[in-house]
Amino acid sequence: MNRDEIPPGTLYLLILKTLVVRGESHGYEIAESIQRSSDEVLQVEEGSLYPALQRMLIKGWVTAEWGTTAGNRRARYYKLTAAGRKQLGVEVSHFERVMGAVARVIQTA
Amino acid sequence: MNWPGELARRVAMLVRRRQFDADLEDEMRLHLELRQEQQMEAGASAGEARLAAKRRFGNATRIKEESHMTWGWEWFESLVQDIHYGARAMLRSPVLTAVALISLALGIGANTAIFSLLDAVMLRSLPVKEPSQLVLLGTADWIGISDGFPITELYSYPFYRKMQRNNEVFSDVAAIFSMLNGVHGTVEGRDQPEPMSVQLISGTYFSTLGVHAVMGRTLTDEDDKVEGGNPVAVVSYAWWQRGLAKDPSVLNKKLKIGDAMFNIVGVAPPEFFGTKVGEAPDIWIPLSMMQQVPPNWTGYKDNFSESLYVMGRLKPGVSRDQATTNVNLVYQQILRGFPDAPLTEKNLKKLAITHVPLTPMAIGLSSLRGKFSEPLKVLMGVVALVLLIACANIANLLLARSTARARELAVRQALGARRVRIVRQLLTESMLLAFAGGTLGVGLASIANCLLIRMVSSGPRKVPLDVSIDMRLLMFTVAVTVLTAVLFGTMPALRATKLQLTDALKDGRGSHAEGTKSPVAKALVVSQVTLSLVLLVGAGLFLRSLVNLANVDTGFNKENVLRLQTDPSSIGYKEDEPRTTALYQQIEERVSALHGVSATSFSSFTFHEGSWNTNVHVAGFDTDPNINVKHNVIGNGYFATMQIPLVAGRVFGPQDTATSQRVGVISERMARTMFPKGNPIGHHYHIGSMDNPYDIEVVGIVKDVKFGDLQEAPETLDYIPYTQRTEYLSDFEVRYTGDFSAVSAAVQRAIHNVDRNLPITRVTTLDEQVARSITNQRLVAQLSTFFGVLAVFLSCIGIYGLMSYVVSMRTREIGVRMALGAARSDVRWLVMREIVVLVGVGIAIGIPVALAGGRLVSHMLFELRGTDAASLVLSVLILLAVGLVAGYLPARRASRVDPMVALRYE
Repeated sequence: MNRDEIPPGTLYLLILKTLVVRGESHGYEIAESIQRSSDEVLQVEEGSLYPALQRMLIKGWVTAEWGTTAGNRRARYYKLTAAGRKQLGVEVSHFERVMGAVARVIQTA
Repeated sequence: MNWPGELARRVAMLVRRRQFDADLEDEMRLHLELRQEQQMEAGASAGEARLAAKRRFGNATRIKEESHMTWGWEWFESLVQDIHYGARAMLRSPVLTAVALISLALGIGANTAIFSLLDAVMLRSLPVKEPSQLVLLGTADWIGISDGFPITELYSYPFYRKMQRNNEVFSDVAAIFSMLNGVHGTVEGRDQPEPMSVQLISGTYFSTLGVHAVMGRTLTDEDDKVEGGNPVAVVSYAWWQRGLAKDPSVLNKKLKIGDAMFNIVGVAPPEFFGTKVGEAPDIWIPLSMMQQVPPNWTGYKDNFSESLYVMGRLKPGVSRDQATTNVNLVYQQILRGFPDAPLTEKNLKKLAITHVPLTPMAIGLSSLRGKFSEPLKVLMGVVALVLLIACANIANLLLARSTARARELAVRQALGARRVRIVRQLLTESMLLAFAGGTLGVGLASIANCLLIRMVSSGPRKVPLDVSIDMRLLMFTVAVTVLTAVLFGTMPALRATKLQLTDALKDGRGSHAEGTKSPVAKALVVSQVTLSLVLLVGAGLFLRSLVNLANVDTGFNKENVLRLQTDPSSIGYKEDEPRTTALYQQIEERVSALHGVSATSFSSFTFHEGSWNTNVHVAGFDTDPNINVKHNVIGNGYFATMQIPLVAGRVFGPQDTATSQRVGVISERMARTMFPKGNPIGHHYHIGSMDNPYDIEVVGIVKDVKFGDLQEAPETLDYIPYTQRTEYLSDFEVRYTGDFSAVSAAVQRAIHNVDRNLPITRVTTLDEQVARSITNQRLVAQLSTFFGVLAVFLSCIGIYGLMSYVVSMRTREIGVRMALGAARSDVRWLVMREIVVLVGVGIAIGIPVALAGGRLVSHMLFELRGTDAASLVLSVLILLAVGLVAGYLPARRASRVDPMVALRYE
């Protein structure tokens, strides 16, 4: 199976989107979810998720709370805030602008 | 975008960072476990699954660090670490640390304290509107009442009014009585009179200064228009607090002062202490009421009762030169215009060349300034030198320490510490030291300030001066010390971190010879010795001068005399009433009868209390009109009480009464200089003006005494009995034997037996009174001695530190020498030689500097030259001895080096 590194700068976007879709999730779930919904194409270096989550906590895009998993384990669940939801919009439009530009460059070639 | 929230979250993280780290760890562990389970479900063995999970996760330690650093506190955490480490390092060498801290604290504290006082006395502007616009007519050199013509230091009330009307340069003019009235007033509703100080002022005083009341109103020109017409008073904020406990109904209160009731109409703002630095009046009363306030000055309408300072506020745009021209023009017009002006030919000639100088009033008036500005400047110089020495000391200590740590630093560097990190570590340690010292210094400064105020207060009451710590200077001194610490704390660090690691690691003691030379450290020690010598010589000069002063023959016997002050004016005794004289006589009689009392007397002065002086005219002799005679009105027992020896004639006795021939006793000096050759006894002279002379027959001559201060040459003095000239006499002297406090209590009881309402103040001894007259000399002598000793002590530490360091650096060399047969004494000499050279060079440089400094202060010395050889020689000897002792300990340690141990260490 061939997996690709996620494009730089899109990690926040992916995490935010995942949280919108899944609601509250812990780190492992987020990593799994990103992988699954990209049909196993995108692979997060799973560890790098955590510094990113810390940064998002500082920015106030997400909040974290301890809870228990289905397997009855303690896990930290991340939840999107209003600021996070707004940020998702910013990230999406930024991503689309960049991808659109890239697409145009490729088409003209 | 949302930075306050972000900051709050960051701070929350800092506070609970352990929790955060633990959370992160838990979370990451869960992740790994879940992944591992997932792998095992997919069929991997437990080991494979764990490896796969770890592979997919990445470097957990790095990720954890990265997450942690996300919060942006790593600088803070390493700072905390550095401080911890620094504190531990400092505590490891407690003596060194203590010495460094004490030198810093003393350097910073002493400078701040002395400067605060200097600032309060000499530099700070009055807390009034635009102080730079205020000017004073004359120089405020005189205090008192004069009838001279023409004079420019004091002015009469009518003069002030005319100046106010006729000048063209001032927007406002105000007058201030040149003396404070110390009265005993009674707050309405209380039965005890309390001491309070009253400043008489013109109604324009507050408006000229631009000072507004915090409660009620200030005085206005209207309050000052009718003589005796407006019994109103403004009280100072401090007195409102102290005397009335901040009573909010203060404006309804009345004060009984003398026979008059005064309405309190306002409270002055807290920062306003008047216009004379170091003299804060409790109460301001308009000049129109001067006759109602004891001692009941007259002269409100008298053109030549000159007792006021006059100040003006320059109109905007008017220069001081323009103002001087106009004021002098008006001055001449006013003096010539007074109908009672004594315009004799001689006086007119004098008036023509009289010029009124204008003095800036921005920093207010002060009698303290004349007395203390020189000593304060000298002390400021002294403490600045101490600060230099302290800095040199710190530099030396830090230099020695961080050089000795070269090996430790090399180890850390070899283990991968970045150079920046090491330098920052040393910087932090230096700063820690500097700030700890600074904090101690601030504490010390505030204590020192209280002490200083005590020392400059010549009376039992503290001088009212605001000497709150001066922030600018504090910042400056702290900056200097921090800079020193940083410079000398990191300089070796930079050098150490540059060196070849292998060298330093191989041999902690440094095979490199540069360490033993350390020219910077040596230069520091030499300069310390130099500065110490200068300070020691200064201390020696001031001390010897003080001793000279204390041994001056006063002419009277200052031992065993109690003196106190009474204030009959405050309880209704009038100056010219016979019952005032009777009061004095009764008290003298009662107290004389007490056990342990041999003589008593009232007098207007004893010593160092000002004077009443006039010209005198000796019948049939052409006396020099420029010589003033100082008069002392006394009781019959005065000479016996003071033990002033009679040279010829007699002293006063019961035969001298109000109706008999007026008599006087004169001093030897007066007898010699003002009377024709031959015996002055039986001669007549008179004081006062020609048309109303007070004629005196000389009946006795007494020995010369010191009257104003200890430095003065013999004065022309005369003594007049109070039985013939009734006056308020403030001083009462008692010659006693036995215990002072017992006698003092008995005397006060006896006085209150005569009149139980008579206020008694300032109970002390004559000895104390004399000692107080040399307060500033004592201040300089004590402080310069303290700082001189301190400087020597600091220099010793410097020498000891440097030599210990040098010895430890040279242990191997010494070992080799001893192995090759050098005797212990040779080794000792090797080390001592270096010390002798350092101290010698320091002294050689110091001697000319000290001599030059001595010449600078020679005018402050009493019967001593600035180049006093004894002080110099003694200082050199002390410094040599102490320096050698400080160096001997390391030298002895060097001579005890065991060659085997030293060599095996390689």
